[in-house]
Amino acid sequence: MSILSDLVVRLQTLIFRRREERELDEELRTHLEMEAEHRRKLGQIESEARRDSLVRFGGLERVKDEVRDARGTRLLDNVAADISFTIRTLLARPGFSLVAILTLAIGIGGTTAVYSAVDAVLLQPLPYQQPGQLVRLFQNGVRFPNDRGFVTPVHFLAYRDLSSFQAAAATYTYADIGADIGIGDRARKIRTLPTSADYFDVVRVHPEIGTAFQREDETGAAIVVLSHKLWEDEFKGDASVVGKALTMNGKPYTIAGVMPSGFSDPVSGSVDAWLPVDLAPGRDASNADNHYITVLARLRPGVPLARAQAELDALSLSLAKQYPDAKDIRARIYSLKEEMVGSSRRALEIMLGAVGLVLLLVCVNVANLLLVRGSERSGEFALRSALGADRSRLVRQMLIESLTLALAGAAAGLVVTRLAMSGIVALGAGNIPRLATLSLDVRLLAFSFGIATLSAVAFGLAPALRAARTQPGDVLRDVSRSATGGASVLRTREWLVISQVALAFVLVVGAGLLISSFARMRHLDLGVKSENVLTFELALPPARYDSIARGRFYDDFPREIEAIPGVRAAGAISHLPATGGFHTWGVRPLTGKFANNPQVAGSAQQRVIAGDYFRAVGIPLLRGRLFDQTDTPDGPRHVVVSKLFADRLYPGADAIGQRFETGGREVEIVGVVGDVALDNEGHPGPTVYHAHRQFSRREWLLEQIIAVDGPITAVQQRVRQAIVQRDGQLVMYKPRTLDEAIGVAAAQRVFTLRILSTFAALALGLAALGLFGVLSYGVRLRSRELSIRMALGAEGGAIRRLIMRRGLLVTGVGLVIGLVGATTLSRLMSSVLFQVSPFDPSVLAGAMVVMTIIGSAAAYLPARRATAADPVATLR
Amino acid sequence: MTDESRELLSGTLEMLVLKTLALEPMHGWGIAHRIEQMSSSVFFVAQGSLYPALLRMKRRGWVKTSWQTTENNRRARYYELTPAGQKQLDAERASWDRAARAIDAIMNAKLSLGDA
Repeated sequence: MSILSDLVVRLQTLIFRRREERELDEELRTHLEMEAEHRRKLGQIESEARRDSLVRFGGLERVKDEVRDARGTRLLDNVAADISFTIRTLLARPGFSLVAILTLAIGIGGTTAVYSAVDAVLLQPLPYQQPGQLVRLFQNGVRFPNDRGFVTPVHFLAYRDLSSFQAAAATYTYADIGADIGIGDRARKIRTLPTSADYFDVVRVHPEIGTAFQREDETGAAIVVLSHKLWEDEFKGDASVVGKALTMNGKPYTIAGVMPSGFSDPVSGSVDAWLPVDLAPGRDASNADNHYITVLARLRPGVPLARAQAELDALSLSLAKQYPDAKDIRARIYSLKEEMVGSSRRALEIMLGAVGLVLLLVCVNVANLLLVRGSERSGEFALRSALGADRSRLVRQMLIESLTLALAGAAAGLVVTRLAMSGIVALGAGNIPRLATLSLDVRLLAFSFGIATLSAVAFGLAPALRAARTQPGDVLRDVSRSATGGASVLRTREWLVISQVALAFVLVVGAGLLISSFARMRHLDLGVKSENVLTFELALPPARYDSIARGRFYDDFPREIEAIPGVRAAGAISHLPATGGFHTWGVRPLTGKFANNPQVAGSAQQRVIAGDYFRAVGIPLLRGRLFDQTDTPDGPRHVVVSKLFADRLYPGADAIGQRFETGGREVEIVGVVGDVALDNEGHPGPTVYHAHRQFSRREWLLEQIIAVDGPITAVQQRVRQAIVQRDGQLVMYKPRTLDEAIGVAAAQRVFTLRILSTFAALALGLAALGLFGVLSYGVRLRSRELSIRMALGAEGGAIRRLIMRRGLLVTGVGLVIGLVGATTLSRLMSSVLFQVSPFDPSVLAGAMVVMTIIGSAAAYLPARRATAADPVATLR
Repeated sequence: MTDESRELLSGTLEMLVLKTLALEPMHGWGIAHRIEQMSSSVFFVAQGSLYPALLRMKRRGWVKTSWQTTENNRRARYYELTPAGQKQLDAERASWDRAARAIDAIMNAKLSLGDA
């Protein structure tokens, strides 16, 4: 009860301060009047009664003050006064306050946003139950244990019965597989994912309505599981949808179930419909070297990765005996999480390092600012202290000032965080796995805020504590007379600036290395001419296009397109160049030096083409011929190979006319073409090109490629019309330029690069600010000394040189230290660099020049100001 | 008022105020005046300590306040004892009595032969 009444009184005081004061005044005046009245009654005359009662009372204001003390809110009153004083002081120096708040905001905001991105992509678990048990299985050649290739259906059937696996699933992900649904205006393409029956046990997500597939369905049965979204879009969320039909590519599929909302495939991401995969090829031994399946598995609880791997190794050996065609095939499993983020990990770790450096830089900068401010005010503190101000009050006020700055910085930092986060999501959208799940983590914000506040408080307090310790008289004498100012303060600050220069230098070097990597990548010869090339997919519904019609279409369509004015060449291919590896088959030479030599059996990228593909993407013919009308469906199987392939299998010999076996086919080389990069980093892969029309059974989805003179948009419309004329139900899917298609793969590097260069620019700005701050402060401290020198006849130029020398000295020491740091750190970066040495001299020199220019500018401006001032005015 | 009038013994102000309020609710001047009267003008209450003491007692929940009109038609803040205040008065009273008896005993002590 007493605690309650205490609280009530205190709160009343705080909230109704004015009323409380008025009532106190009224109560005390009533008291005085009662006293005076009492005295009049006792016979005193009016004026005497009044005076005596006042004397007796002992001073109205003093009593009021004692009552105020008793309210128990005195500390708060003082703090409130300090805060309003702080705000006034901060507003009086808007430049200082703005710089400090902006520095904090950028530091807190930038680091939180970037760290959140790292956290979302790297550190947060996969959105599946017990994600640690999820693994992805890759196949590799026995001599290339680090390859990560797709799996053959034959091997998959053996792998999925491993006792280490609780469940294993096959999906067909190596191309974006789509299906056309709807007719007329509502026709559109959806993303489908063929999966095996155990898929749903692997991800541990089952249909919310209906059922999943059974193993009996793994024949490509015409059933389908819908995504929640497709169910809502196409069936308006109809709960009785199971058993109804969804027509895809002109063929009806029975709806078996609907997945819960929010579920997405761990590898492919958002999928509209799941179909049963056809595992029949897995029972045909000729497919033992036909790699096209993605395998995900869930380990049994408690089974470590290593034990599963050991079991897998044993199985691989027995499979190698069973299938002589595939005796070199091995398999490895990788933690799914590591596999998914693996490629981004390095980039994100580097980003994290950059964030840490920037945060450090921010702290150094804030420290610098507050130290300047504190030293500037040592005179003020001494004066207030001499006039009787409580020293604890001075310290408290500096604390409040630092905290106010930190809070304002944090508030602005929150805004920066929001902006930076939406920027990061926009930059990396679609290319960086799981970036879309990015959300603000309060703990992270608290962390950055804590660090920034700590440095603000520590460095804000230091001068106040010093002021509280020293004799005010000494300081006052010093302030009024001294010409040079405290040398020790200057030395501390110069070290801070040196560290600032060093940190900024490291960041600039890092960004410079990445920028030059990127520049080299852009100018890389990928082996294709990707400018002005339009690509799109055209899915031919199997219901209306059997393999003969399909073959005819892929042959005829490019010729029709080439008739459009402005089209240079048109063709099609099973996988666009320089967009990563795709279909690989084992290769066994039948002729030449390595004929039937088992040691040379390797694998090669396989591409199926139609039309004038080579000319459309600018791949030169080096020897022999390209495909022509003589390569008939029934004629001998001919292939065109890349130069690398020819050189590897037939070193020193003419490749034309050589024969080899691949994918269960015996083929003869008729031409050799230039190498094409497998990825956007320019790594070439040995490649075999097949003519589409020489396949009778396999259904290939070819991407159309059209090379254009002039702008693409004009031609694109004509191409669309040509498609509609040929078949009104076909959809031009994913039209984009080849540049874009190749660029998507480079997106991650661009993403990292942009963030790093923004950070480097930030670091540069912060360092410039800090450098400028310390130098101009030094000049201000010495303004009396400089004025005396000038008054005594020193030349402005000499003084400017003096100041410049000091500034460049500080910068130089910082650069030397930064150089050591940069060479250490950039060695860690070598894995993300491309054709650039971590010690690239031009980058290091460039960074030095940039930093020196900034240092000189930061030194020159205050020097000019110092010498421009009238010495007499300063001295007075 | 008289020359002999002096400030209260330290620590007794609150007890005396509580006692005064136990008789009837009262305003500040009334409390001071009543204490002086009842002590036959031996004690006088310094206003500088009365009002802070009243506020402290209010914070502890011993008294509550309300604005009322005096017999002379003046608005004044009246202080009234709460049950908690009554309990506090009883406690202080008991401890005062104990102290007073002890002091009395000391002051009346005579040298006994055994202690020499």
